[in-house]
Amino acid sequence: MPDKVRFIIERQDGPNEKPYTQEFDVDYRPGLNVVAALMEIQKNPVTVDGKKVAPVTWECNCLEKVCGACMMVINGKARQACCALVDEIKQPIHLAPARTFPVIRDLLIDRSVMFESLKKIQGWVELDGSWDVKDAPIQNPYTAQTAYEISHCMTCGCCLEACPNVGPQSDFIGPAPTVQAYLFNLHPLGKFDAPKRLNALMEKGGITSCGNSQNCVEVCPKSIKLTTYLAQLNRDVNKQALRNMFNF
Amino acid sequence: MHTTFYLRRLHSLCGLLVLGFFIIEHMITNSVAMAGPEIFNQVMGMVEEIPKPVFYAIEIGMYAIPILFHGIYGIYIALQAKNNPERFGYIRNWNFTLQRWTAWYLVVFLIWHVGYLRIYIKGITGTPMSFELLQNMFQNPIVTILYVLGMWAAIFHFCNGITTFCMTWGITKGPRSQNVISAISMMMCAGLCVLTVAFMASYFVY
Repeated sequence: MPDKVRFIIERQDGPNEKPYTQEFDVDYRPGLNVVAALMEIQKNPVTVDGKKVAPVTWECNCLEKVCGACMMVINGKARQACCALVDEIKQPIHLAPARTFPVIRDLLIDRSVMFESLKKIQGWVELDGSWDVKDAPIQNPYTAQTAYEISHCMTCGCCLEACPNVGPQSDFIGPAPTVQAYLFNLHPLGKFDAPKRLNALMEKGGITSCGNSQNCVEVCPKSIKLTTYLAQLNRDVNKQALRNMFNF
Repeated sequence: MHTTFYLRRLHSLCGLLVLGFFIIEHMITNSVAMAGPEIFNQVMGMVEEIPKPVFYAIEIGMYAIPILFHGIYGIYIALQAKNNPERFGYIRNWNFTLQRWTAWYLVVFLIWHVGYLRIYIKGITGTPMSFELLQNMFQNPIVTILYVLGMWAAIFHFCNGITTFCMTWGITKGPRSQNVISAISMMMCAGLCVLTVAFMASYFVY
């Protein structure tokens, strides 16, 4: 058991600054995860060469794989830092920001593009009032499990980082926001706006930009069957296209 | 309205149905080489007997236009991807990357193949296709290797295209059906690749 854990971190001082790497050693302790190690580095930001540097910036929140904020590239894979246990990953540990998104500083990225995409696909349910509990429309029990699964999406952006078709070279909104359209189409009230969402997915950068590399489903930390729902949405947009063409 | 959607779907249909038919037709015609020079030249002669207006209509309408559309729009699609199999080495991601690499090779290969054989040799010099002409061309081992690679690229691109077509059109939804189609199309890919080697070998046997 090594008493020190080596971290090789790709850093960047600002959005338009050049990236560089720095190495840090952190005292090993059982159950150490990447976020906890970054906290140690923050307390004592001294590189392995003994140089005191500015502490590494990153984002985290819930520390239990629910909020999605601490997504970064750990040993080449996009994942949540809070549940990346040092015991379970190869050392030295390489940390880098998810460069599919604009980097603000060090490991901190700007993921607001996903929220803009959720606006495009109308990732919400229109309400014009409220019901008493007994009168409210119920979730379809046959699709409730699927809806529950998709609702776990925490907009962390792992799938966008892994997708070869998402990035500055493309306008694809990515798997996560696309599949959210299916969640809201399943909702007993949200379904009324399904044609709106499907039409939005037919726009440039929508579902047709999916290239079936299927990296999204491999990296999703919440194990959402993204490719299955993308195929279902492909079916749905095809039907919508027919409805648009023949006006039925 | 939804131009991208219709262009993408047309790209998909055109690739699988029109160009897929073309590849199969091409494989069958080329396989005749295994029967020897006489029969091959006889079949080539039959192709020449198709009335010219019909022949040109098929050539332009069924081959030239779909290939140009699929190729040019395909380049635009390939440019949207930043291939990352070195980071995410999953089999489907490798297929995604190979789909684009084979596409790039095919763009160059087809310009050479069609430009030399169809436009220059057949069109400009007026030489009809024959077993001897191809045999002569394949005397150069580099040409032979580039041709085999060209055919393998086209076969893989088509077979992997069947798998992705089924996903794009929502025909195969879950991982199990997708894997079944993928296995079938990859077996077909292997079979057609072997067939390619077999009919290419006939130019060295006869």
